[in-house]
Amino acid sequence: MTAPAVTPYRSPLPPARDGFPQLLRSEWTKARSVRRWSVTLLAAVVITVFVSLLSALSGSFDVNGSPPPPTKGPDGAPVTDSFPFVHQQLTGDGSITARVSPLTGREGHIAPWAKAGVIIKASTDAGAPYAAVMLTPAHGVRLQSDFTHDTAGSSASGAEPRWLRLTRSGSVLTASESADGKKWSEVGRATPAGLPRTVQAGLFAATPELVTVQRHFGSTSVGGGPSEVTASFDRITVDGDRGTVVDGDQGTGTWRQDRVGADPTRAAGSPDRSTRTSSAWTLTGSGDIGPLIPDADLTQRSLSGAQIGLIPLAALGVLFITAEYRRGMIRTTLTAGPRRGRMLAAKALVLAGIAFLTGLLAAVLSFLLAEPALRDNRPNPASYPEAALSDGPVLRAVLGTALLLAAVAVLALAVGALLRNTAAAVTLIVVVFVLPMVLLAGLPVDAAHWVMKVTPLAGFAVQQTTPRYDFVNTVCLPENSCYPQGPWTGLAVLCAYAAVALGLAMWRLRRRDA
Amino acid sequence: MRGALHAEWTKLRTLPSTWWLLPAVAALTVALGATATGSVSTDQCPSPAECHEDTVELCLTGVWLGQAAVAVLAVLAMSSEYGTGTIRVTLAAVPGRARVLAAKATVVTGAVVAAGTLAVLGSLLAGRLLLPGNGFGTAALSLTELPTLRAAAGSVLYLALIALLSLGTATVVRDTAGAITAVLGLLYAFPVVALMVADETWRERLQELAPSSAGLAVQATQNLDTLPIAPWPGLGVLAAWAGAALLAGAAMFRLRDA
Repeated sequence: MTAPAVTPYRSPLPPARDGFPQLLRSEWTKARSVRRWSVTLLAAVVITVFVSLLSALSGSFDVNGSPPPPTKGPDGAPVTDSFPFVHQQLTGDGSITARVSPLTGREGHIAPWAKAGVIIKASTDAGAPYAAVMLTPAHGVRLQSDFTHDTAGSSASGAEPRWLRLTRSGSVLTASESADGKKWSEVGRATPAGLPRTVQAGLFAATPELVTVQRHFGSTSVGGGPSEVTASFDRITVDGDRGTVVDGDQGTGTWRQDRVGADPTRAAGSPDRSTRTSSAWTLTGSGDIGPLIPDADLTQRSLSGAQIGLIPLAALGVLFITAEYRRGMIRTTLTAGPRRGRMLAAKALVLAGIAFLTGLLAAVLSFLLAEPALRDNRPNPASYPEAALSDGPVLRAVLGTALLLAAVAVLALAVGALLRNTAAAVTLIVVVFVLPMVLLAGLPVDAAHWVMKVTPLAGFAVQQTTPRYDFVNTVCLPENSCYPQGPWTGLAVLCAYAAVALGLAMWRLRRRDA
Repeated sequence: MRGALHAEWTKLRTLPSTWWLLPAVAALTVALGATATGSVSTDQCPSPAECHEDTVELCLTGVWLGQAAVAVLAVLAMSSEYGTGTIRVTLAAVPGRARVLAAKATVVTGAVVAAGTLAVLGSLLAGRLLLPGNGFGTAALSLTELPTLRAAAGSVLYLALIALLSLGTATVVRDTAGAITAVLGLLYAFPVVALMVADETWRERLQELAPSSAGLAVQATQNLDTLPIAPWPGLGVLAAWAGAALLAGAAMFRLRDA
């Protein structure tokens, strides 16, 4: 007698697939099926937009009369262009050479970026294209052109006289410097936009205002004052066709004393104190040549709500894993997909996607609603660069805000997976991101900048849109949300924190019982 | 009531998180206070004599961080009972809900006052050790100075009130994550939002209303006239918040099913 053949049971259902897409799908199902979490996402958007709008609508500045529109540079951006200018006409190719004595300030105070040297400018109108080679007290010899271009020359100390020369050949201006007037070395070349055939070649001296920052715990005072620089020029030669004599005081070999732009620090009518001796000029001046740095980054301010909107997203990120531990769901999850690293990766990916889209919606709405309101509240809206959603820096700030919120959510998820405790993880994230903003205003600038560079808070640097110029001294105060590092560097620091925390969490998850 | 107090004390004492959080209150407060104190020196002033730094407030900066641990402790004291279902046993043993809440508040506040006293004394001690190295005098840091005593005692009271505010919020919200987020939002996000407001009057008004920035006015010992709110009225604002949260908590506790 033979035993009846046993057919092992086979489920009629097709075998389950356990690939990564299935993991993603299961995490997505978990995420969307908790109603409280959808409400949290909505809260993140509402809070972000509300706080952004609150900071935009909460204050307007007194407008006394209508301030003059800012000077526009060759590319249409607002610039500062104001300095005493001693010049003569130069037609076609030619060059100007002068020996500049060390710069002196008033009462021993001199701005590090005070400057004096030779300049070739399209006209005496403020904002006209130019190139200039100059001596500075603390930054050596520089070649600057069209307000935003800067090339460093030798780091001549500024304690000794320096020969400077600017040569025009077609549309290219070549700057050279020399210690003795015999051995010349090239500083660089500049091509100012649309230089006409006849230009003004001459001497200038300018200095930005002096700025002093004093901080006490809880209060900052930014002092500053008009500064002044004096420079003497001798051995001045202008070679080339100096144009034909048109009238008495203009033409061959005749120096004209002028001022470009209005002097913000001098009462109208009082002349510049520039003096001439037989073959030398002494220029005393204030005002500056360079890009106009707006006193506020409107795009960044319009996105400031993200600093608070991250709180619900962080809570969601933590709950995305700790809720599973609390409910015992984690055991079902790990039975369905036993590979723990992949499970956490799927969670991080789904969460990052959700947080990114939520953050993008919040950022776009905040920018569109708050930026025009901020602009209207300012006394001189025209002095802020135009900002549209399609502009590169604005796009970077808006997308960066969404990425930043996604990174915060992933970091929260990782911390939640490491601590397995909702209360501790939520507290940690909120304290790390929000507490510094309260305290930074009280710390010394160096300490505050250190915190803004190396903690996860660094990510907020991505919201900055104001370009930085190494050759413009700007006061970077933490309470004005000024981050010392570049936008992408800051975001990279935050992402590194999130990645390291996620890696640690995966490693811990493998070694611990669920 | 004694039985209720005893029960609450047993529950608090046997939670492992309590023995993490109470030392954390002291450790975090002292650590942040010492860091802040260490980062400020007279070098940043034109001359040491012109450095009108409020050294007492500086040393006690750590309370900004220590309060987070206090908030977690107080929230967990209530919300973890809902999380695990112990609340039903608690209410079966002590059916008077006001009594349960009062006992909880007393026990949690007592523990926080003990940890807070340690934290504040430790911060002042750290200040006394660190400040001379940075060029400051330590005369102001003595507890015999009235403003300093007010700042120190006020900071301990501040932490106790934060505990009550958190306990009240947790009784209303019942869920750990929700309650923690709400309390931390109130303590940290509110002052940040206040700082963002451009209008001076509104900024000051919000700083007078925010429980943390108003309550911590009690730490100021210098330039009291430039503060948005005076020290004791500031602590009063926080007391009002804590009272409102506890009242709302008590009312919800009575009206709702556990």
